[in-house]
Amino acid sequence: MKMIIRYLMLSALALAGIPAAAQTVAVEVNGLVCAFCAQGIEKTLRKFDAVEDVFVSLEHRTVAFALKDGAELSDVTVSDAIRNAGYSVVAVERSDETLEALERRVRATHTP
Amino acid sequence: MKVPWFIAAAFAAAFGANGAQAKPIAFANGTTTMVEHGAGTMAEAQLFYAPRYWFSVGAGYLALGSDIDDFDRRISYVRANLLAKRWNLPAAQANVFAWGGLGSATGTGFGRETAVNAGAQIDYETRRIYGSLRTDWHRGDSFAHRIDTVQLGVAPYAHDYDSLATWFVLQGRQYSNRLYDGVEWALLLRLFKGGTWVEAGVTQDGHPQVMMMFNF
Repeated sequence: MKMIIRYLMLSALALAGIPAAAQTVAVEVNGLVCAFCAQGIEKTLRKFDAVEDVFVSLEHRTVAFALKDGAELSDVTVSDAIRNAGYSVVAVERSDETLEALERRVRATHTP
Repeated sequence: MKVPWFIAAAFAAAFGANGAQAKPIAFANGTTTMVEHGAGTMAEAQLFYAPRYWFSVGAGYLALGSDIDDFDRRISYVRANLLAKRWNLPAAQANVFAWGGLGSATGTGFGRETAVNAGAQIDYETRRIYGSLRTDWHRGDSFAHRIDTVQLGVAPYAHDYDSLATWFVLQGRQYSNRLYDGVEWALLLRLFKGGTWVEAGVTQDGHPQVMMMFNF
């Protein structure tokens, strides 16, 4: 019995220590040329409960956002939201890196 | 689709500029408020709300004072703005806007009367150049004026969302029906960051021109 309790406690501790996989969505967008464009898209995305934080790079034509733990937002929903904000979606990509890591990676990339 | 720089430049030169530019619709669910002092010939204030990225509605006030004769017009209006067409390119955007509205006007030589207004704008912008051509028409029983504005803007560096945008803008403005003789040219410095835009400059007559706009 003691072994079972110890095993359960260790398992619980181990699980608590594992961070949930961060899910970040990066969208390549056409038409992003000014701060007002970025402002409009950021405002649109922040309305979703699933969105934790948003990053927009005009230089890299990228709109990226972090999803809250356990939250989901389909590619279709994301694309529709950006299209309804007035911009064209080229591609939607998902990764497990954090938004901060994605931002660093994007900023280190030369403009296409 | 990548637009060669010389085509973009030719387009900007032909149609003026408006990139870091004043648009009647900023973004969906956004509110735009703008005030402009146009070198003593015109002054305008506007407030628009856009429920969609392609449509906004609001109100404005326009004061016109003749640089030639001693008359003025004061026009209050409600207006609907439509984004008729947008081209989203990889590093550029082009738009065609149209608007129309109804209001009332008073002025030298006439009492309050109904006024109509209509206009259109075409613009093209990248993060380094922008051009726009705008025409704005106001008419009542006792007056009719058209204000045509061309702008060509150049940015010394490409701004991003989190940095200050700086633009040098050459503006030409022509007023009809004896508001101003010839084309009123102005050199402007335009700065914006986030939803705040400030623009100031001077005309060839040495008159100050100032515009401020806030989007939220």
